[in-house]
Amino acid sequence: MDPMTFSIIRHRLFRIVDEAVITLKHVSGSAITNEGHDLMVSLYRADGSLLMGGVGFLHHLTSAAEACKSIIRRFEGRIREGDIYLLNDPYTAALHTSDIYLVAPIHHDGELVAWSACFVHVYDIGAMNPGGFSPQSPDIFTEGFSSPGIKIVDRGEMVDDVLDTMLNMVRSPEMVTLDLRSMIACNNVARERMQALIGKYGAETVDAAGSELIRQSEDLFRARLRELPDGEWQSRQYLDVDGETAVVRLTMTKTGDRLAFDFTGSSPQSRYAINCTRWASLGGLFAPLFPLLCYDITWNEGVIRPVEMIAPEGSIVNCTRPAPVSVATVAAIQSVNNAACATIGKMLAASDTYRAQATAVWHANHFAIFKFGRNQKGGEAIGILTETFAGAGGARSFADGVEIGGEIPNPISRMANVETVEANFPIRYLFRKRMIDSGGPGEWRGGTGGEMAITPHKAPDGGIHYVISGKGARHPMSDGLAGGLPGAPNRYLWIKPGESSGEASGEASGEASGEDGGDERIPGAANPVSWGVFPLMGEDALYVRWNGGGGFGDPLARDPDRVAEDVRKGLVSRTAAEDIYAVALGDTGAVDRSATERLRSGRLAARLEGEQVS
Amino acid sequence: MSETTYLVATDVGGTCTDTIIVASNGDIHIGKALSTPPDFETGVVNSIRSAVEMMGITLEQALENTTLFMHGSTVADNTLLTRAGARTGLIATEGFEDTLLVTRGAYGRWSGLTEDGIKNPVMTSRAEPLVATDAIAGVRERVDCDGDVVEALDLAGAEKAVRFLIEERQVEAVAVSFLWSFFNAAHERAVRDIIKRVSPQTYVTLSSDIAPVPGEYERTSTAVINAYAGAIAHDYLNALEGLLRTHGYRGQTMVMQGYGGLLPVKEAADRVVGMIECGPAAGVIGAKFLGDMMGDADIIAADMGGTTFKVGVIQNGEIEFAREPLVDRFHYVAPKIDVVSIGAGGGSIIQLDPKTHLPTVGPRSAGSRPGPVCYGLGGEEPTLTDVMLLIGYMDPGSFLRGSMELDRENARRVFDEKIARPLGVTVEEAAIGIYRVAAAQITDLIRKITVERGLDPREFVLHSFGGSCGMLASAFGAELQVRRIVIPYTASVNCAFGLVTADVRHEYSTTTTLPAEATPDEVNAIFAPLAEQARAQLLSEGFPKDRVSLTWSVDLRYRRQVHEVTTPVAAATPLDRAGLDRLIEDFEALYERKFGKGSAYREAGIEMTMFRLTASGMIERPNLPKQAEGGPDAGAARTGRRPVFSEKHGALVEADIYDFTRLEPGNRLAGPAVIHTPITTIAVQADQTARMDGYRNIILDLEG
Repeated sequence: MDPMTFSIIRHRLFRIVDEAVITLKHVSGSAITNEGHDLMVSLYRADGSLLMGGVGFLHHLTSAAEACKSIIRRFEGRIREGDIYLLNDPYTAALHTSDIYLVAPIHHDGELVAWSACFVHVYDIGAMNPGGFSPQSPDIFTEGFSSPGIKIVDRGEMVDDVLDTMLNMVRSPEMVTLDLRSMIACNNVARERMQALIGKYGAETVDAAGSELIRQSEDLFRARLRELPDGEWQSRQYLDVDGETAVVRLTMTKTGDRLAFDFTGSSPQSRYAINCTRWASLGGLFAPLFPLLCYDITWNEGVIRPVEMIAPEGSIVNCTRPAPVSVATVAAIQSVNNAACATIGKMLAASDTYRAQATAVWHANHFAIFKFGRNQKGGEAIGILTETFAGAGGARSFADGVEIGGEIPNPISRMANVETVEANFPIRYLFRKRMIDSGGPGEWRGGTGGEMAITPHKAPDGGIHYVISGKGARHPMSDGLAGGLPGAPNRYLWIKPGESSGEASGEASGEASGEDGGDERIPGAANPVSWGVFPLMGEDALYVRWNGGGGFGDPLARDPDRVAEDVRKGLVSRTAAEDIYAVALGDTGAVDRSATERLRSGRLAARLEGEQVS
Repeated sequence: MSETTYLVATDVGGTCTDTIIVASNGDIHIGKALSTPPDFETGVVNSIRSAVEMMGITLEQALENTTLFMHGSTVADNTLLTRAGARTGLIATEGFEDTLLVTRGAYGRWSGLTEDGIKNPVMTSRAEPLVATDAIAGVRERVDCDGDVVEALDLAGAEKAVRFLIEERQVEAVAVSFLWSFFNAAHERAVRDIIKRVSPQTYVTLSSDIAPVPGEYERTSTAVINAYAGAIAHDYLNALEGLLRTHGYRGQTMVMQGYGGLLPVKEAADRVVGMIECGPAAGVIGAKFLGDMMGDADIIAADMGGTTFKVGVIQNGEIEFAREPLVDRFHYVAPKIDVVSIGAGGGSIIQLDPKTHLPTVGPRSAGSRPGPVCYGLGGEEPTLTDVMLLIGYMDPGSFLRGSMELDRENARRVFDEKIARPLGVTVEEAAIGIYRVAAAQITDLIRKITVERGLDPREFVLHSFGGSCGMLASAFGAELQVRRIVIPYTASVNCAFGLVTADVRHEYSTTTTLPAEATPDEVNAIFAPLAEQARAQLLSEGFPKDRVSLTWSVDLRYRRQVHEVTTPVAAATPLDRAGLDRLIEDFEALYERKFGKGSAYREAGIEMTMFRLTASGMIERPNLPKQAEGGPDAGAARTGRRPVFSEKHGALVEADIYDFTRLEPGNRLAGPAVIHTPITTIAVQADQTARMDGYRNIILDLEG
């Protein structure tokens, strides 16, 4: 195929995805889709293999491919032009029930030539707890509506009885209607634009360009793998929830132009909804793989072919029905993201050519907090705390991580302004800022996470409630790389004024609330909260601290002037400067070079003697 | 006979400073000079002089008889891009000092990156902030979402913060941005008073003055940008006024704003953020003026120069404003005409991707030095301009009135070596392919920005501006199936032309939420003080009531939805019940058109969130004389034949070549053909007809 035509078709396929994303955001109009960019649109070939993945929540690209394939199997012979299918069963292909896939065949001259697929996190799916994340659900049966494949548009006509049945099971059906409409409009745009492309260049040419695009991605990815060293790399993720700790273990083996991910040794599936299914794990490891290894390669089937995955059945990364999975996207899947980011980072760091592409783990732990209640205007309000999208960047081999810089699997998120939240919820922020000492120490420091506190304000019901699937308060999860230390863990505190610390009944987590629970900015008893539904009433405050990124390289190798600068900016404490970085600062905050020299050589000598470094 | 008077407009661009002088008898004179950063005022005077030279009078004679000088400048953009602004400090609400630095999370890390850049997050970082991180001070105070004071301003703490920034951090400018200050600015104003007392010479910007809208990150960022670039822009405008006065100009200087209106220089100097990207905004205003003249209400205005391709959209006579304006990689909030650009221009370098061997056009540019290979100034990388030469669109002998001979053989050699041979095709095949890739990229961009607005490009007229656009417009215009293509007579100085067609304009707004069920009186009560303020302001600038026009618009949204739509008030104001009902209906229609069928969520109810008043002081319009159209025969302008690329034939074919300066109104010619103007080249494709109208614009009619 001539390279110019190929170039034009490739660019146009990318634009088709882009136009469909715009349509999705326009019609949906929801905050989570528009601000959080919690969405995905992609194009698939006639057999359901990934043709062109867009920039969105990347762990969906492969599972939506499986969604197409399973619709093909289920509806073989009955798939017509103008049909749209809904699929959200995690045991078939989806990640969790609230991320609904709508997949649509694209026909040309009566022939099925391609598929489009998209998802948004719908407003509600009818699970035990509102908003989709349902920490109190003990099994899939209580996680709301779920379908392994159902036709909701038949040859261009809405199948109203199906739609009504589904809407009958969710909270705020009109908001869910809008989410579904947005996905239908999105698929319609993708179909119209694909048909126009085929109309201009011909079905054969476009199909040939598609094959070529996949072949090219595979060739480029395999060539890149051959440039990287062979080897085996491991990582572990400890995921704590409500006092229990699960582990995701990953061994990544690179041989020639193949890459294998083996999760053998991971914990058995949990009674909590932190599990994920097999397709979700596959998506979870591709989410960092696409941007880390294939940043300059089109994300499609060609990238998937050289990769294999082993995920033991019945484990937290390949759970069996009816294990609950509603929190998967921010629990086991995110742990898979992190583990894959860590092993890929180790491999890249071992390559002279690709060392600059290596990164410590970014934002390892979302805190999914949905607040709900009556707001100051008297209306019902439900919404996620968008700070969870804000994350923190992992350190690189050449630079610090980006403070509150987002995450890898969803590259273009953003968080809401304080004023936007205060206008729509009866709450007031006490502060929202970067969190000191949260960035993983290293020669290059991980980006800091943040901290915030909210309290009820002018609430007609005296306050609101929130659903929290808060994990990761016990173990740091944003792993460091090449000797760098992990970023600080998350923390969630319910602060009750008028009570002194430790008085209030502690959580099952057994964490001492006195240790770092107290905060002189908010007097009162601080109690860790992590899992379930909680009130925020009267003068209560909810304090949330979110994780920093991992560090890169030995903290003792960090330029002492950078440490001094961090202290001056309030990103690192003087204590951490001395204890972790072994940098002595004078009264003015400037580096005391000779004292630093002594500290560092003492610390290094102690390491060689195998002594505990204080 | 009264003496001829002039309107003079000068637009400073990145490379060139353009001038257009419109005489009271309708004559138009065009001038061009190189821009002269950082002392742009020199280039301004050079540019005016180059226009005056063609008129046979002196600079002083022209300026003494100039009634109004209108100006657009890149001084704000340039100060930001070269980081040449003042040492700036920021005072914020305690507990929220990091708002600027944190940029709403990842938003500031990916904003302004290319799509390829976004795909590789490991290589991304935020731009270095305009305020040093140790020059941000928090002050205790708190206002809530209703504007009520939750915690009074700590005056002693505020003075301490001011002294810390000015005395210890030695800042020259201070931005003050508190939470909810747009509802209650008392705390910000109190801090300004302290700064003025402690250090009267310090430049101060309050967020509640510069951007009185919700959203603390964008409001803070805007205040910081304004404080950072304010003093330099202020000094520049003063220097310019002084220089013009020494050459005899005694009138007012009007400065273009990013929203397409002019402001008197005194006001403009305090709102430098308004000057960002005002040149391209003027270009869109110029396109609208031409559209009004020609009876076209729906226009895609495309401008392609040496390094970038810019496009703005006018729909039903209305100009779209940017929702999330960005300068360099900094967000700001100010009314600004939406102009989208990509790095594709005549100087864009063509490369083969080292891994895929696929050709790419831009975004790197050879600029004007060394420039394209064919310029013979040492350029060794093939550019889009070289492609235009190789496919016959440019003529080696007639470039820039023949002032520069283009080196076709060298261009051919380099292109063959770097592009054609590695691709295994002939030079012509490769050049045609590159031309198609560039046209397709532009097509895709225009589709994207029209789709974003819910528009169909087939309903639009395409205006082609700039030195390189005329060679591509016939190709991408055909693919977009636009109604027709116009290459205006003033295409080469379009931004300057836009300046002379603009009005003095002030934008006012009030943020407050009202349900759609509110009474007309409630809405009128919000607009009344704005209207009073606007009339007083324009009167003080010399606009009596009969030269003032006030238009209202309201931002509305469906509750629980994020999209707000600025909806013009079409009914008579103040509003009555029917007028308010009409506004709600218009909003609903606009919403569905913009965001698609089925996007309206009526069940949730509708609310009004912002009330905007645009106040225009109308200034004299250039009086462009229309010539009578003669016969269609363009034969007298034909200068020869040579092989040029024809999209229909997919190859170079023999085609007629025309000299623009010898074409007469009414002349028609059929493609494939090429028209050379003194500044640019217009390619006419097969199946297209070009004609010259009474204003000497070239119009391409698309057939089939």
